Amino acid sequence: MAQPGLDKRTQTKVEDQSSLKGTLASVFLLGFFLIITWVGVFLLFVNRF
Amino acid sequence: MSSFTEKIKKVDPRDAKLGMAHFYVAFIGLFIGGMAGLLQTLVRSGQYTLPAGIGYYQLLTLHGVVLALVMTTYFIMGFQLVAVSRTAGTLSNKQRTTAWIGFWLMTIGTVMAAVMILLNEASVLYTFYAPLQAHALFYVGLTLVIAGSWLGSAAIIMAYVAWRKQNPGQPSPLLTFMALVNTLMWVVATIGVASTVLFQLLPWSLGIVERVDVAVSRTLFWYFGHPLVYFWLLPAYMAWYVVVPKIIGGKIFSDSLARLSFILFLLFSIPVGFHHQLMEPGIDAAWKFLQVVLTFLVIIPSLMTAFSLFATFETFGRSKGATGLFGWLKELPWGDARFLIPFIGMLSFIPGGAGGIINASNQMNQVVHNTIWVTGHFHLTVATAVILTFFGISYWLIPHLTGRTLTKAMNKLAILQGVLWAIGMTFMSGAMHAAGLLGAPRRSAFSEYGGAAQAAEWIPYQIAQAVGGSILFIAIILVLYIFINLAFFAPKGEEEFPVGEAANLAEKAPMVLENWKLWLGIVVLLIAFAYTIPFIDLIENAPIGSKGYKLW
Repeated sequence: MAQPGLDKRTQTKVEDQSSLKGTLASVFLLGFFLIITWVGVFLLFVNRF
Repeated sequence: MSSFTEKIKKVDPRDAKLGMAHFYVAFIGLFIGGMAGLLQTLVRSGQYTLPAGIGYYQLLTLHGVVLALVMTTYFIMGFQLVAVSRTAGTLSNKQRTTAWIGFWLMTIGTVMAAVMILLNEASVLYTFYAPLQAHALFYVGLTLVIAGSWLGSAAIIMAYVAWRKQNPGQPSPLLTFMALVNTLMWVVATIGVASTVLFQLLPWSLGIVERVDVAVSRTLFWYFGHPLVYFWLLPAYMAWYVVVPKIIGGKIFSDSLARLSFILFLLFSIPVGFHHQLMEPGIDAAWKFLQVVLTFLVIIPSLMTAFSLFATFETFGRSKGATGLFGWLKELPWGDARFLIPFIGMLSFIPGGAGGIINASNQMNQVVHNTIWVTGHFHLTVATAVILTFFGISYWLIPHLTGRTLTKAMNKLAILQGVLWAIGMTFMSGAMHAAGLLGAPRRSAFSEYGGAAQAAEWIPYQIAQAVGGSILFIAIILVLYIFINLAFFAPKGEEEFPVGEAANLAEKAPMVLENWKLWLGIVVLLIAFAYTIPFIDLIENAPIGSKGYKLW
């Protein structure tokens, strides 16, 4: 049975203080940087040797 | 900037004096070595000629020996001794005396080596590769530096053993544990360089033997040379893991993770020297490949460290109400030199580490080997990540030891110093990386190589290096000004020695991490596995050896 009042919950989004999603994003960025630089020099190697 | 709630735990004045003795030598070394570095970049720009018959390679040797071998070793010994004193308790008289004897032995050795370089009797660069042959007193001096560092190491080991005896079943304080790991790595690694100096180079330079086996001496050098770079790095990691969390007001992400990463560094830092010798004959490719694999294992504790530091920063930022993916970055104390300067160091370790992976990648080493890319690489790692962290440490440690405080004005100057360093190094190291990829050699004075077109391409980068070198030298002057202020003139007061606490204090570090029979056993096994057969090969197939050369 529909209870109209229940649909109107206020959407206060509480972020979990223990969230480490920024850390996850940071280590991924770090990983991509390592891969990009490595591949860059690898291509130089392939072209030269 | 000290915490007002807890009583400041001070390093005992007698230990503080011991630490300061090391720091005086380190900072004098910084000035001499930095000056040499500036002159080198000026010479390489092609716009400047050295006066008074000073040789480029003489300067280069001075720069490398004084900064890479002397300044770092003194700073690290001093820092580790006071860190152990702060966290495991004041050194006993016996421990302190041992460390003092070590200090004086190192200092006598340093003076001997420096005098020989200044007399132009030892322009053999900091790696002192045979068959370049220095005066015997240069090798004696280096031997004394190593022997002295062993006594400083003995003091740290004795302090650790005493603490464990008084606290059975307890994991040692984190900073003491880390100082011990670095000390053990140093002792195991220096056996290699001590062997080549004592049994090969010294008798050869004295004329007792005529010839030297070059490949064996280089292999023994790099058995030491790679762990040397981790000996520089781990004290910076001590500050990143333990000190920086306290400075920002946060917690250490995990005490056990920090310990495990140090143990992994102990295991994987030593049996990897061949990645410096990838282009050398006489070592089978299979053994080089094995050591490349072991080298890549060092990436694991490095990435554990990166994760742990990001997590410390994010957890702290979120506890202050930060939201969003990167909102926590805003909460960090950017105006505090004690945080900002090591943080710049951490950032610079990202391209530094990336370059290291490229260097060690077996065949790819051909692209960069003996180019100035390599020089650019270690100026990001040791000369930015490590040294900026050491400066950041000095800005609270020197006043802590001298009973003074870091004033707001000095804090501002310190921030300027860190920013100037970052700018100068971006120019210098960036230009070195770029020129290296274009084939510019390292370890060479200015030359147009007979008007070769390729060499002409390098010159703009060499000018950029001189610009960077000049900015870096201004930063060095600032460091020395701040050091002298903090040592002698800053207002009297109490500056905190920040030691962080783990986020989860209930989590006791596993005692297996303090089982040195186990870890040193694995270290010995790994070294034996990685080096025994290659050494047998080198010795069995040895050529007659080389006479000494003095090419300067």
